[in-house]
Amino acid sequence: MTALRSIDVSKVFEDGFTALSGINLSVEPGEFVTLLGPSGCGKTTLLKIFAGFYAPTTGRIEQNGADVTSAPPEKRDTAMCFQSYALFPHLSVAENVEFGPKQNKVPKDDRVKRVNELLRQVDLEANRDKLPNKLSGGQQQRVALARALAMRPSVVLFDEPLSNLDAKLREQVRREIRSLQREFGFTAIYVTHDQSEALAMSDRVVVMSGGTVEQIGDPEEVYQRPETAFVADFIGSANLLPFERVDDHTVETPLGRFTVHDPPVADSRFLCWRPEAADYGVSEGENVVASDISERAYQGAYTDVHISVPGAPDQRLHWPGGASSISDRITFRLPPERIRFVRGELG
Amino acid sequence: MTWRRALLIIALLTPGLGVILVMIGSVFYVAIMQSFGYYNLVGEDTFSLEHWQEVLDSKQFSRALRYSAYIAVVAAIGSVILAYPIAIWLRRPFRGSLVISALLKAPLFVPGLVASFLFLNVIAFHGIVNQFLMWIGVTDAPIRLQNDRGAWGVVFLQLWKNMPFALLLLTGAVQSISDEVLDAARDLGAGSFDRFRKVIAPLTVQAMQAALIIIFIGAAGDFAFQVTAGPTNVQSMAQYMVFLKDSFGRWNQAAVVGVSLMVLALFGSLLLAILARFILKSGNKW
Repeated sequence: MTALRSIDVSKVFEDGFTALSGINLSVEPGEFVTLLGPSGCGKTTLLKIFAGFYAPTTGRIEQNGADVTSAPPEKRDTAMCFQSYALFPHLSVAENVEFGPKQNKVPKDDRVKRVNELLRQVDLEANRDKLPNKLSGGQQQRVALARALAMRPSVVLFDEPLSNLDAKLREQVRREIRSLQREFGFTAIYVTHDQSEALAMSDRVVVMSGGTVEQIGDPEEVYQRPETAFVADFIGSANLLPFERVDDHTVETPLGRFTVHDPPVADSRFLCWRPEAADYGVSEGENVVASDISERAYQGAYTDVHISVPGAPDQRLHWPGGASSISDRITFRLPPERIRFVRGELG
Repeated sequence: MTWRRALLIIALLTPGLGVILVMIGSVFYVAIMQSFGYYNLVGEDTFSLEHWQEVLDSKQFSRALRYSAYIAVVAAIGSVILAYPIAIWLRRPFRGSLVISALLKAPLFVPGLVASFLFLNVIAFHGIVNQFLMWIGVTDAPIRLQNDRGAWGVVFLQLWKNMPFALLLLTGAVQSISDEVLDAARDLGAGSFDRFRKVIAPLTVQAMQAALIIIFIGAAGDFAFQVTAGPTNVQSMAQYMVFLKDSFGRWNQAAVVGVSLMVLALFGSLLLAILARFILKSGNKW
């Protein structure tokens, strides 16, 4: 039985803005699913519909097989971690964590045990009597997580919980969230616009754009085998080239003629390859490209090299090392199995 | 700090502090001293507890004290109770909310005496309330509604006048609570009343206390509503004070009532503010 399911969910706000249309998503128990997309793509709206803060305009929500579409948040078996942490500023850390169990009339002994256990797990025992404003951002996020987990929900909803943390802390809290999720075994739905966060944490990634789902798959799948130009471009960086089909395994592009492993399907619009997909230093054979560097930016482990292509956007490569300069001629090969074809339009 | 700098600071503070210390302080001083027999218009200036004894022994004073305390408590608590749901309702803007908010605050611009006069016109024998009661057949002849013995008219006027003020303070405080904090409470199982009791009220307690204190002080010292719409069998403290001064020129006894009124305002409002915080704290402990 699925832990949470949206069936043909759409949401149109009072001002006429369509935030979601026709969202079908099933989340399995214990799964970590990330809703990934740019601002305004509808990911937080969908999360709030799962939490019960918004009612869908059409469609329904099922939790463990039961229809919860019209159930208010306080009646759902979900708990939410908010972007701003949303801790109660007048309550201590321990009181914040105890709020949910108290509200749900959990017996005192059980409540105290839960709070102590969770504070130990998130390493905040020493701060239990402090008010939230005396804690750092990372600590506040851990309180928010402990508070959500104290409810023992079957689904935890995360609304960009790391966006207010600095890069180093984000990495640490990210690992903590994932480890707690594995330990407690709860189902997690995680909203983010950070593709590296999504790829690192998720069992499955739901890429959204303009209120619709672009692609659902495991992190490797959405990265390596994007189905649309949007997914290819949003997750990592991708080179997209218009093409003309020559035969099933040959296409003509502004960068040259390429042999491909998988033939393009009928609605394919672009040939797609990742900047790190090229084999460098190969100057002969099929799919070899020779071009002048139009721009370069040293990135440490590699140099981000741009080459100009008439009739197409600049193409990017991750060139190993730093010994290259503008106007240098480089040659590389695109292996046929690393070339994909994607649908959709360029953003 | 050099004497020049000290002088400069004193000079800069004088317009503000001077008004408080000289003007208000002198009023306090004269009232207190007068209640103990000094600053007499006639007779000798000597220390005496006689005026306090006479006033505290009078039944009229104890009735006035109880009455003023009652009106002040009801006005303060009632205004806050009425203002909270409206403040929560107006928390997020919606079409027409600005107009509603402005209309609700309109009584702030109406002087108390004018409000009383308008109220009397509405409930008088010839007023629209009586006309309406006769029109729907509840009564055959106009009934007396004004100066009711239960002081409902005064309570109504106090609430009408003070609720907008409480609303003014509470709206800002309620609006400062983030949506996510309220959503979090909801998500953790708190229904509407629990969200109010455990989140909204504790986070707006300072605004609530300010409203309680200021309304209590104003209502405890009410004169205008009482003399126009209040019951005739009891006087408010302010009314009693004026009565003592006007009848037989008993300035010293009037000063005793004045000082008592200040004490009532100070301790009553503090008590109310402490009580509000205490109730909220014990409420949070469940």
